[in-house]
Amino acid sequence: MNEKINADFKSLKFIFERNKNFILPSVIILACIVLFFQFVIPQFGLLLAAQEEAKQASLKLQTLKENLNVLTNTDEKALDARLKTLNLALPLNKDFSGILNAIYFASQKKGIILGNFSLQIGDLEDTKKQEDFPSISLLVPINANASGVNSFVETLAKTVPLSEVTIIKVKNAASSVKISFYYKPLGSSEYKEDSPIQPISQKGLEIINKLSLFENVAVFQQIPISTSSAQESTTPF
Amino acid sequence: MNTNINLLLRADEETLKRLRRVKRFNFIAITSLIGVGSLSLLLFLLIQIINPSSVRTQQNEIREKISKLQDRQAKLFVLNNRINNIEKILQRRIDLSYVNNSLLAKIPGRLFIEDLEIDDKAVVMTAQSTSLSAIGELINNLTDMVRKKEIIKSLTLSTLLFDESKNSYQVSVEAEL
Repeated sequence: MNEKINADFKSLKFIFERNKNFILPSVIILACIVLFFQFVIPQFGLLLAAQEEAKQASLKLQTLKENLNVLTNTDEKALDARLKTLNLALPLNKDFSGILNAIYFASQKKGIILGNFSLQIGDLEDTKKQEDFPSISLLVPINANASGVNSFVETLAKTVPLSEVTIIKVKNAASSVKISFYYKPLGSSEYKEDSPIQPISQKGLEIINKLSLFENVAVFQQIPISTSSAQESTTPF
Repeated sequence: MNTNINLLLRADEETLKRLRRVKRFNFIAITSLIGVGSLSLLLFLLIQIINPSSVRTQQNEIREKISKLQDRQAKLFVLNNRINNIEKILQRRIDLSYVNNSLLAKIPGRLFIEDLEIDDKAVVMTAQSTSLSAIGELINNLTDMVRKKEIIKSLTLSTLLFDESKNSYQVSVEAEL
């Protein structure tokens, strides 16, 4: 029995002696394979991610440079004047004095007599979800015939704030029109830092020029923004 | 006795083969070690080179310059927002005065408009005349507009009657825009 065990041990020792020169290189090769999969391949992934990050950073840098260029080349005075015109045309909030000004301007210009009407104020700050183009609607009685009403509506189409006549009713000289005056608050989610800043487009300039020619814009631009006495001179209140 | 037996030579051949095998293994092991080491070093260096921190520094410098022009940026944002929305409104708003003008142009002089109601979908008109031919002319004009697809799409004659108290004819039409 002991001889058998000794024989086995001797044969193992013999095999080890024969192959000991292969052990170290085999271990090294195995370790290299493990290192390759555990280390090199993940590093390659990191390299690709770093390249992508660098590319995005470059694009962002380019956008920021263009934004700076646009801002530097924008004339602030012209910007203020254009913004004033646009805010008159489409106010950020319900502009009651603007609405009354527009209605009375159109009626006085065409020599139309208006009846009594009222404005439904509603919530000063709307808590419910806004529609695309919120508006304030009112029904205005007009003491005029069809052509008188028409000239009033035509004049109103060229006044600020922007409005839309949705119903015309003519009955002898007792007519009425339903008018919706638009306003549009700024959405808080629309503004994002680092997003590209667009300069004013050619189409935008055309719209601003068109609005500047609207009949009561010049009247508004002569009125200081926050006084009530000056506004009283253009409205019958 | 056979003198051609050469045990020593056979042993040498096997040893040589083994030595060659060992050399090959050693070569592969060293090559793998150098290869993996070089590759990982190269990747490490490339990652360091591509480091976007210098780009971020430039971004921050430009952001600082832009922050001094923040007012202008906000105004430009509001301005473009207003322009976009105004453009949409100007495109979508209906011009009832144009509809009204076009209809009034088709009304014969001998006809009197008693009632006219126009909205974005339909026109309802009631007119009166002592002359039936004037009413006929009105209907013909409006029918023509429908045929030419000018403003109104369809025309319905709601009523046509003779008012004895006024001694005049009264017509009521409805047109779809």
